[in-house]
Amino acid sequence: MYVARVGARPMGAAFISGMHLSATLAEPAHFSRLEIALLLVGMVVSTALFFWRFGPILRIIFRSRKDTDFSLHPVGKRVWDFFAEVLCQAKVIRQRPLPGLAHAFVFWGFLAFVLVTLNHIATPLGLSFLHPSSYAGRFYFIFAALWALLVAVAIAGLFVRRFLARPIWLGEKVSYESGVIALLIFLLMVSYLAAFFVAPDGAGIRAVWWTHTLTLLVFLPLIPHTKHLHLVLSPVTVFLKRNGFSKIPPLSGDEDFGLVTGRDVTQLISLQAYSCVECGRCTEHCPASNTGKVLNPKEIILGTRSYLNEFGPASETPLLTDTKIDSPDNPAAKYMSMEAAFECTTCGSCEFQCPVGIQHLPIIIGLRRGATNTGTWEDPHGTKLFLALEKNGNALGLSATERDKFIQKQGLPIFDGTQEYCLWLGCMGGYDPKGREIIADFARVMQHLGTTFGVLKKEKCTGDPARRLGNDLAFQSMAEFGLKALETAKVQKIVAICPHCVRTISNDWREYGVAPEIEHHSEFMARHKSLLPQQSSGESIVYHDPCYLGRYREVYEQPREIVSMAGDLVEAPRSHERSFCCGAGGGLAFLGEENGERVSHVRAAELAGTGAQIVGTACPFCNTMFRDTLSAMDGAPPQLLDIAQLTARALPQTQKAGEQ
Amino acid sequence: MSGILVLTEQRGGAWNRMSFEALAAGQQLAARLNMECSAAVMGSDVSALSNELAGKKLAKVFAVQHTLLKDYTSDGFITALEQLIRHVDPAYVILPHTYQVRDFAPALATRFKQVLISDVIAIHDGPVFVRQLFQGKLNADYKQTASAPCFVSIQAGVFRAEAVEAGATTVEVFTPQLEASQIRSKPGEPFREAAQTVDLSAAQVIVSVGRGIGEQENIAIVQELASALGAELAASRPICDNGWLPMERQVGSSGQTVAPRLYLAVGISGAIQHLVGMKGSKAVIAINKDENAPIFEVADYGVAGDLFEIVPALTKAVVAAKQ
Amino acid sequence: MKILVAIKQVPERDAQISIAGDGRWIDESDLNYTINEPDAYALEEALQLKDKNGGEVVVLCAGPERVTSTLREALAKGADRAIHIEADDLGHRDTLGLAQVLAEAIKDESPDLILTGLQSDDLGLGQTGVVLAEILGMPHATIIMQVEVTGAGLKVKRELEDGWFQHVEMPLPALLTIQSGGNKLRYATLMGIKKAKTKEMKTVQAAAPAAGQTITLERVYLPEKQKKTEMLTGTPAEIAAKLVEKLKFEVRVI
Repeated sequence: MYVARVGARPMGAAFISGMHLSATLAEPAHFSRLEIALLLVGMVVSTALFFWRFGPILRIIFRSRKDTDFSLHPVGKRVWDFFAEVLCQAKVIRQRPLPGLAHAFVFWGFLAFVLVTLNHIATPLGLSFLHPSSYAGRFYFIFAALWALLVAVAIAGLFVRRFLARPIWLGEKVSYESGVIALLIFLLMVSYLAAFFVAPDGAGIRAVWWTHTLTLLVFLPLIPHTKHLHLVLSPVTVFLKRNGFSKIPPLSGDEDFGLVTGRDVTQLISLQAYSCVECGRCTEHCPASNTGKVLNPKEIILGTRSYLNEFGPASETPLLTDTKIDSPDNPAAKYMSMEAAFECTTCGSCEFQCPVGIQHLPIIIGLRRGATNTGTWEDPHGTKLFLALEKNGNALGLSATERDKFIQKQGLPIFDGTQEYCLWLGCMGGYDPKGREIIADFARVMQHLGTTFGVLKKEKCTGDPARRLGNDLAFQSMAEFGLKALETAKVQKIVAICPHCVRTISNDWREYGVAPEIEHHSEFMARHKSLLPQQSSGESIVYHDPCYLGRYREVYEQPREIVSMAGDLVEAPRSHERSFCCGAGGGLAFLGEENGERVSHVRAAELAGTGAQIVGTACPFCNTMFRDTLSAMDGAPPQLLDIAQLTARALPQTQKAGEQ
Repeated sequence: MSGILVLTEQRGGAWNRMSFEALAAGQQLAARLNMECSAAVMGSDVSALSNELAGKKLAKVFAVQHTLLKDYTSDGFITALEQLIRHVDPAYVILPHTYQVRDFAPALATRFKQVLISDVIAIHDGPVFVRQLFQGKLNADYKQTASAPCFVSIQAGVFRAEAVEAGATTVEVFTPQLEASQIRSKPGEPFREAAQTVDLSAAQVIVSVGRGIGEQENIAIVQELASALGAELAASRPICDNGWLPMERQVGSSGQTVAPRLYLAVGISGAIQHLVGMKGSKAVIAINKDENAPIFEVADYGVAGDLFEIVPALTKAVVAAKQ
Repeated sequence: MKILVAIKQVPERDAQISIAGDGRWIDESDLNYTINEPDAYALEEALQLKDKNGGEVVVLCAGPERVTSTLREALAKGADRAIHIEADDLGHRDTLGLAQVLAEAIKDESPDLILTGLQSDDLGLGQTGVVLAEILGMPHATIIMQVEVTGAGLKVKRELEDGWFQHVEMPLPALLTIQSGGNKLRYATLMGIKKAKTKEMKTVQAAAPAAGQTITLERVYLPEKQKKTEMLTGTPAEIAAKLVEKLKFEVRVI
């Protein structure tokens, strides 16, 4: 055994087929003054270069408008999210397991290396605190070496994935900076591990040591210049996320119309824009991006970032561009176009997937607000929708007497303060033929359960499509009307068949008042399931998670319980929080023809492709979107039934709404 | 101040159909009030038309002639008719409720410090003139309270042109005093937007489609029924506004007025603007999912059901019956 | 150019109309009001003319306090000024009386163009614009679909019966009554409403009516069904069979 002498203790070492392997890290025994000077100069230069780029970014973030609705509460949740998402890399791993795990290793390896790196720099200055000879030192260096191996393998794997396998979510262009960073990381790890293989004296170790040092000094300034800024920012971004999913901030003051120019970009948005790691998970799950639309959530964030880089947070240049097509000097302009912004169904997959805490929906809806509140958005269907809300109080532009006729015909009781629940019809339940069927069946279910309910005499739209399309005037009008109507009627509890109504009333209306508690009919029925018929027809039922019930409200199990009572539950390939949108949300059900493939077609095909006999829905919009697609399919297309209908068909036939 | 004066309408020597409906109204009101009824026709040379009117049961026919009245202008007509009315001094002035009348009659009435009772659907004892309010939801009784000529315009189809009684009377030529400088607008030649390929007014059977059809593609279902019946396809205004069918197929107050033997309304609610265009039909069959739709007010036979089920079934039955 | 738009506030189109106790008018309690639809198109035409030719759009409405909300909405859509003619007794004024009130309120305005909707959703007399033009001594044209400003005045497209149209050339100042559907309406925006807060709304009192009404509305009532409609029922096939029978033997078209 070759014994190396460093300090006073002999170290163990071994020759392995001619290679010298030490059980601890080798370091140059001493450093010349020139070396120390070079190191200090290098550190100063590197740090200066780092701040030379990072400083302006920080300035941009701090110079952005303050978020008026920001609050640190509840801190507990923030701490937990930080622990789970940042430290444990939970979302990173769960949503993309293999690459996620590789990234987690790199991250944890970096954390492990913090002490190593500090010690590395401190050594020539005589300030080292981990000695290769001490037990702590030895243990830690080997600990770090294991991580270095993991990191090296992981980063190599990720390099192969990005540059050879080339998944489209990472973008079409080859990202050279990613390659450079990957090589630097690899070099860092290799140069660390090499220190176990060279003798502690001689040119070898010096070369290794300086390689490692130079790599560090080069790496540091590159961080703010690349997406690796997320190393610094993303823990902060995750911690400071807005409190709530798709949380749309209230407008502040008479001059605020949404995200019109740079002056409207807030600190949170700036922070989030600079945190983007370009992983493309948002794009991967976006229904618009998956069906040939221009909208690409990643590019919205990067577009915001480019805007801030080019124009800054005080700029009066509009955020949205005019172009729908690539312009040669600015190929990314189309992603920040009005057309792209209005292709969003607000399904929330992007915001849900983002591992660094970027919240896409307030940004996209903010951009829409800027266009709609100022009248810049001149879409014939959008205008028709807003006029319908103005004139008729419902999104379909039908006379309110149509709703009255339905209530009369169906014999639905009017809410008079004595009943337990107010059954909220919504636009679909009140006017759409399929929505009405769902209401009728749910009324039967409630009757069967002996729950007293009534419908409001006059109901206007909750304003959900106006809210998601950015029309705050129309939304405020609907919300205030609804709150007043519920208050006047003394409603205490509401149940609705439409997740959009539930979300808007329980969440978005808070800006204008306090609404009575509201639940979705799946939650209601699940609570009463012991009283509902457990008559499985044995048919296979594939359940489609609506965006506004699943990702928005985290209600996944209750509808499944209902479905399981009626038949055999089948899961779609993309289910639960990965459920693929039906295409109706974000007001899109009321806008014109889509470009590219129809989102509803893609999802309907996926659902039918499970071979299930029935497609079970819990949202009248999903139901409407799938209705025509499914019936037009060849072969024996699956039946389409809402969970209320699934339950009602097992009820005794003679019961009709209106009969008690 | 006595008697009834009916103001008819012609363009380029051809009658506006509604003139004779107004004439029937005037004759019937005259009989009820025990007054005389006269008529007037305006234009640059209306001798042929006034001679035709002379064959009706009227006290007198006034041929209001002037070169400046060749084409309709509001200034020309208001000035000329004011002079005529002062000359004739009737108690009632009856006009057909045409687009042209809507253009000048209110101003003409103003000259006499009167307000026109427009778009009347019935005349009851009094006389009380009945109008529709709130798009046909309510009826209202109007009475005149002043002592100056009472101006009334009659809605299309309320009186039947065939009810005009024949008679014999004389024509008095009335030449109003008009200067070219009094006429401030210059009217152009009337034109149609697209080439006229269909004449709904001549069709015997019309199948008409409304908003209940939902999508443009679904119109094919109704077209099949029309073909099976050998009928012309028509539509209510929203369908034509959407561009789903050409404007010339529109039936209603802003489209064509038709009076076929059979008018089959599919998915049409029966808004007043549409009813005005087809209520002269001999027979009306309506299919609408809403049993309270106003179309059923004017229908002889009604089906409250889903047109997507009824229409194909009917097409099938018609085809079978015709074989 | 200065464009004046006379608008009316009417009960919402799908409001449930019930007759008042005395049968002379409708029960106005619990009604929601909105802008008369053809007037909305008149306003839109005015705004588009302003966009194209510059100038000012002034909206004008007679009625009780509640009409100010409709005036505010018009300001929010882009009108520059509003004039509210306070009058609580519109039910006791006929068209002539109302037109006189309007004429009085605008006598200092000297507009280049006055636009109104061609008729109102409630009474539907369709005359106020024409009568106003007559009182002001202005040339007028009705049922207008398009307006173009020319060197000499206006060139307008007038709708005639049976799908015919006509262009009319007129001098300014003039009055036009606007047909619905000629333009695409714009929606009220938040920005518009905020700006409207700073726009001027002047209130003037309507003078007492000079004379009594020349025509009076005596009573309102539900129309009687004049026709006895035979409703056919059954399955689609059964209904089809019954209809064919009617078509063969009653209507005699097959």
